[in-house]
Amino acid sequence: MSKKLTVIPEQCSGCRICELVCAIKHFGVDNPKKAAIRVLTTYPHPVVRMPIVCSQCKVPACAQVCPSDSLRWIDGVVQLDEENCTSCYKCVEACPFGAMYIHPDYDLPIKCDMCGGDPECVKKCPKGALRLIPEAALGESRRLNNVLSYSQMKEIEFYEKGEKKVIRYAEVGKEEL
Amino acid sequence: MSIKSGYFKQHLQIDLTKGTAERQTTADAFIEKYIGGRGFGAKLVWDNLRKHDFKIDPLGPENLLVVAPGPLTGVYLPSSGKNSFVAISPATGLYGDSSMGGGFGIELRQTGTDILSVTGKAPELSVLFIDNGETTILPMPELKGKSCLEAEGMIKERLGTHAVRVATIGMGGENMVRFACVNTDWSRNAGRAGMGAIMGAKNLKAIVVRGHMDIPVYDVAGLMAEAEQAFKYMEEHKYFKLWQQEGLMNVIDYANEKGILPAYNFKDSVFARHDQINGTTMVNRYKIGDSACFSCSMCCGNICLVKSGKYAGTVVEGPEYETCAMLGPNLGIDNFAAILSAARLCDELGIDTISTGSIVGATIEGYEKGILSLSDLDGREIAWGDEDAILELIQKIAHRQGIGDILADGSHRIIENWPEMDKIILQVKGLEQSAYDSRASISMGLAYATSDIGAHHTRAWTIAKEMEEGQNWTNDEKVDTVIYHQKVRPLFDMLGVCRLPWIELGLSERHYANFYKYVTGNETSLEELLGLSNDIYDLTRLINARLGMSRKDDTLPYKVWANPPLTGPNAGKVIGREDFQKLLSLYYQKRGWDENGIPPAEVEKRFSD
Repeated sequence: MSKKLTVIPEQCSGCRICELVCAIKHFGVDNPKKAAIRVLTTYPHPVVRMPIVCSQCKVPACAQVCPSDSLRWIDGVVQLDEENCTSCYKCVEACPFGAMYIHPDYDLPIKCDMCGGDPECVKKCPKGALRLIPEAALGESRRLNNVLSYSQMKEIEFYEKGEKKVIRYAEVGKEEL
Repeated sequence: MSIKSGYFKQHLQIDLTKGTAERQTTADAFIEKYIGGRGFGAKLVWDNLRKHDFKIDPLGPENLLVVAPGPLTGVYLPSSGKNSFVAISPATGLYGDSSMGGGFGIELRQTGTDILSVTGKAPELSVLFIDNGETTILPMPELKGKSCLEAEGMIKERLGTHAVRVATIGMGGENMVRFACVNTDWSRNAGRAGMGAIMGAKNLKAIVVRGHMDIPVYDVAGLMAEAEQAFKYMEEHKYFKLWQQEGLMNVIDYANEKGILPAYNFKDSVFARHDQINGTTMVNRYKIGDSACFSCSMCCGNICLVKSGKYAGTVVEGPEYETCAMLGPNLGIDNFAAILSAARLCDELGIDTISTGSIVGATIEGYEKGILSLSDLDGREIAWGDEDAILELIQKIAHRQGIGDILADGSHRIIENWPEMDKIILQVKGLEQSAYDSRASISMGLAYATSDIGAHHTRAWTIAKEMEEGQNWTNDEKVDTVIYHQKVRPLFDMLGVCRLPWIELGLSERHYANFYKYVTGNETSLEELLGLSNDIYDLTRLINARLGMSRKDDTLPYKVWANPPLTGPNAGKVIGREDFQKLLSLYYQKRGWDENGIPPAEVEKRFSD
């Protein structure tokens, strides 16, 4: 699998629908505390709403600390060997994003399994804050935004078929270094 | 019939005087009849009144504060993040309730609690901590004088976790300002009817919850399918994107166009500089993010930041329409940054933006008309649009300094102190009027006059319909529409969901009956549910009647009879007293109440269990 579950926190409204549908899909119950994705909110300084979910690292910190070798990156997903896991939760502590969870009803840690490649949370997010993006395309939109907001661009107004428009351009060789 | 699912059947009863917390099993018959939220609250408040022979001081230890989500709170369906606060209101002395969004309700349910009720008074400022099945009352005197935001931070620090939900009061609640609110998630409030003052009177600074239990749902697959349909319907609605983008702020332009926007304490009903403070201005210049309550795709909450000028750095979730109208045009303020600053201040202090805007507006007009003297104002002048003086006055209200001490007691005390203010202040039964001008809409007047908690718009909101129908709308239709709203709307508060998907996007009521069926396993029809919902309106009427309210109290602010809006499409319009009385009689008749507005003895029998 070469697609990555990507979080765009600027788009997140904090509604927690991702949490609900994740828990329903994996445990069949209405309980956001059983989700492998959780929205964290801070206010007012800074104002952030951010879903925290496994990044499926190719060199996973969780796997590195696992004493029973129960976590492995296989085909784009860090998979938990449920038979082998000793529930020591070293992985939960080690994840640099805090993206593994514990619920008192279960011994096993809860982590994102990408729903077999078609994540429920991505499908149900009403804001498009969660997306499934090909690995090679990661960063594309940021690159584009960065270019569009390039601060040394100049602007001129012009008319096209009677409609006023603005064109932005970067002037070559005029910047003082 | 027994309750198959949807409830924990747990009522957590707190007595702050004794320091006790007891869990009681809730009877099936009670659950079936009152459903949840506002229904549970109204019945428990009624029982408590009977226990105290109908003598309850709203700010006394005997006033029972009920906090109740509903069976649909926290369930995967549109906008299921609501829970109700119900008690005898310190603003009106009558029945009061207010609901809050955010994530508090679901977290409370996840502690295995359907109803939380609080009575008594703690010996010192305390915090109630419900941690899954365990309940403790923690004295935290260090929270005294802290704002809602500060208190939430300090509580989380003391408990060593950010993973709790906090419903807290600010200085407004501590000082028992009669329109103080309860704040959660920093900016979601149970705003009206003074629920925060009751917590203050009980020395209860905050209720903190942390739960991890499954929300009981009878048929998860059925629910999912129904929810998918509802979410899909909303998403395809032509105004869905507008709601995500502007939330309730899109109403400013509409209200101005129709001439129902409060300006200068309702002296006018249009605002010349409305484009400075409307949804478009907010989106283009201030909005930096969206905010939603639990399981809501509409995300009507806006997060705004003031980027420059004297209010630079102000962050606030909101404003929504009421807040913007009451703290903006109603006070002659056309600077959106100042509105944001006032809204943030009200969040911190924990006072209702509608009542605050109304009372500050009345103060400005009272001074302008010479009813209030400069010495009444403690020597500080105030005028329309005077941002500094207005922000100062808001502080003085919450801290009960100078004139703020009287204003903090709300309309009743203000009129008692300055009888001429009765002609200036817009209130019904002691609750200040919301931001919809009723002078061109007699049905909206009827809605305000017959609202159980006072002049609040959510009980029946018929103004848009009347604007559409105009002269063709008969009295029968007007009364029927008001009653229909009053009949349907309690259901949303009883189920623990937001009514905006229904009101604004036209999501069918049928979905809610199906949600109820899938969650509880009860095959109750929509008609039966609406019958139970209507019963609650009878019950709250009964409560008010037994507390001495009658036809004379079902009236409107003086301005509505006597002072027409100066300009705009409704210039010159007022409601005729006789027309209104005629409509009121028709309303009582259709309600089955007597000429004096009192429900018959048969109604009381229904609630004698």
